[in-house]
Amino acid sequence: MFPQVAPSIPQVIQLIPLNNYLWLSTALFVIGIVGVLTRRNAIVVFMSIELMLNAVNLLLVAFSSYRSDPTGQVFVFFIMAVAAAEVAVGLAIIVMIYRNSRSIDIGFLNKLKF
Amino acid sequence: MVYDILYFNKHHTSYTIHHTPYTTHHTPHTPYIIHQDFKTMADKLFYFLSFLALLSAMMVVTAKNPIHSVLYLILTFFCLSGHYVLLNAQFVAVVNIIVYAGAIMVLFLFVIMFLNLKQDDEEAKTNLTKIAATIVGGTLGVILVAVFRKAQLGTYNPYSFNSQVGMVENLGEVLYNDYLLPFELASVLFLIAMVGAVMLAKREVGDRHF
Amino acid sequence: MLSIILLSIFGIVVLFLGFQKSKNILLPATLLCIAIAFAANFVHWNDAPGLYFKEMLFENRLTMSFSAIVLLSAFLVVALTRGFADDEAAQPAEYYAIILFSLVGAIMMIGFDNLIMLFLGVEILSVSMYVLTGSDKRNLRSNEAALKYFLMGAFATGIMLFGIALLYGATGSFNLTDIRGYVGTNSFSISTLLYVGLLLVLIGMLFKVSAAPFHFWTPDVYDGAPTVFTAFMSTIVKTAGFAAIYRLLSGSFEGIYNFWWFTLAAITILTLVVGNITAVYQQSFKRMMAYSSISHAGYLLLSLTAMTAQTPDAIVFYSLAYSLATVSAFGVLMAVAREKSVQSHENAEDFEAFNGLGKRNPLLAFVLTVSMLSLAGIPLTAGFWGKFFIFGTIVERGNLIWMLIVAILMSAVGIYYYFKVIIATYMKDGETGALRVPPFYRIVLIVSTTLTLLFGLIPKLLS
Repeated sequence: MFPQVAPSIPQVIQLIPLNNYLWLSTALFVIGIVGVLTRRNAIVVFMSIELMLNAVNLLLVAFSSYRSDPTGQVFVFFIMAVAAAEVAVGLAIIVMIYRNSRSIDIGFLNKLKF
Repeated sequence: MVYDILYFNKHHTSYTIHHTPYTTHHTPHTPYIIHQDFKTMADKLFYFLSFLALLSAMMVVTAKNPIHSVLYLILTFFCLSGHYVLLNAQFVAVVNIIVYAGAIMVLFLFVIMFLNLKQDDEEAKTNLTKIAATIVGGTLGVILVAVFRKAQLGTYNPYSFNSQVGMVENLGEVLYNDYLLPFELASVLFLIAMVGAVMLAKREVGDRHF
Repeated sequence: MLSIILLSIFGIVVLFLGFQKSKNILLPATLLCIAIAFAANFVHWNDAPGLYFKEMLFENRLTMSFSAIVLLSAFLVVALTRGFADDEAAQPAEYYAIILFSLVGAIMMIGFDNLIMLFLGVEILSVSMYVLTGSDKRNLRSNEAALKYFLMGAFATGIMLFGIALLYGATGSFNLTDIRGYVGTNSFSISTLLYVGLLLVLIGMLFKVSAAPFHFWTPDVYDGAPTVFTAFMSTIVKTAGFAAIYRLLSGSFEGIYNFWWFTLAAITILTLVVGNITAVYQQSFKRMMAYSSISHAGYLLLSLTAMTAQTPDAIVFYSLAYSLATVSAFGVLMAVAREKSVQSHENAEDFEAFNGLGKRNPLLAFVLTVSMLSLAGIPLTAGFWGKFFIFGTIVERGNLIWMLIVAILMSAVGIYYYFKVIIATYMKDGETGALRVPPFYRIVLIVSTTLTLLFGLIPKLLS
């Protein structure tokens, strides 16, 4: 017979220590930072930044769930909203540059000194 | 009123008994047991999703073709949504799929195909800078992990735990009461982004189309 | 709060005014909007309401003064945009609307009491700056500057957010008051997450105000952006950024001063040295102003490191003096460079552009001289009293005299490169022929110079 499952507390919260989430999101964050530092393609750099933001989201949701405090998850919405606005502006800038540089390749961005 | 919960603990091979105060969520006299199979499944799922998320995040950073990066990033987002479901944050999980994987990544894909970006074989950064950057990032990671090892994060409080936190009802209440002002002011940000994106990406007279 | 609401509405109104055929009404309308917001800022001067709206915003005389500085410098900068609508590709209604909206972000940063307001304010201000930096669409330098600013800014935001998440993990709240409570009650068992989180948030904010070693984007971005928006960036973003850092440190983390003061002191010294030394080697006036803005960030950080009771007053006065001087310096540059760019397109922003300005237009030369003297901190200008108050906070703290010595040495270096400009203006011969300045410009420059001298003579005026 299938046993009764704890109705209120998710298993992951009971079994996995909060530290594991901290380490997972730190790892994602560091991967994002390495991506920003190593890649030259502006779009890939931008994607690495999105990766960093998602590491933050994961951390906030983990803290919020373990503490059963909803404000952390509300913050995640704001991060998503802001990320969407940033993406719109960033991609517009990339399109503008592409149009001006008159090349099929975005390799022109390599001239940027970081 | 106090009743007992039989609670199987992984590290001790015996059943431990927890005393919890009576809450409306539980019916009295029905102690619940977490079955071992169920337990290890959630456990395994966590590690599987984490592994997949890290792997695809690595692929985002290392893939040569930007389109592959986008697809791996979408995979990462799905893994993270899986984590959110496991954490009982269903609404965030769904919004993550809809907004991030659905809208933002499609925008990325759209721009990449729009600009006809192929394999970028012209990576101008030398191996030296790449290695240096990786070392910098790795050092940062090691420092963070070393610091967090000592951190006392505490854990969940079984007495006051509320499993309904991640549901739409609760989040909406917080968002429209406490966080109403930032919610409204976020619209200013969107207006800026809208006006700015149109202004920057609009074709001027005499510009070529693409 | 009132000015936030008004500015949001006015932004939309200005957008709609853009539908009209004639673009001439836009500039006066925008100036009027900023003036009304400026007046509305002082409505509650005598009965400051404190915490607003579920503890989201905080308002007292200090935040009102910061908002007033931001709005005043915005007014002066916007007044300098006269002649913007002449360019056929320009979309003045959109520029003005974005400027008004960005002020909302600045005021949010000044008065936040919840980290979400800080985050949203920073983003509103930054996103509008990315757009304005790239607003010279056909100019590849402006485009590159926009992309660079955007990528660096988004990176900094990511770091700041990770810090905010860690602060939340340590304290369980985004509220400054709650965080202060946590720091106060657990003073012996503060989680390491809090320390790391504070450092990451500080790094994110220092990116935005361009303190060394996070300054590397500044020269290129300031150089590439249209000059009006460079002036906007170097005044409003700086003032708002420092107000936010002050609010964060004094509002929540005064209890762990012993932890953060050394980090901030190291960054301050580095900023002062890098900013001043590098500014000496610049050929372009705009790049020199970029490095000088880095060095002024160093002086403001100096006062934050001291964190005494006098710090807020010192920061307010210094921001005001710095903003006024910067606006008039960039105003003169625009007047000269515009004249010059008609004849030749290259090097319109070099020091040579000022050669012989003393004979061509004595008014511009005088304005430039006063602003350079104020930036260098020579007596009888507002800049002198700004530096005086800043150094006063360090003396009050007592054990940081070594920083004071470095700062004074560096301001001596500063005098060298500011005087280079004055020498070019009066001593060197350049083109002859009178320089015509539009009357609007003249009014703005006279106003900012008068204020600089006035505060230089009577610093008590602001209290």
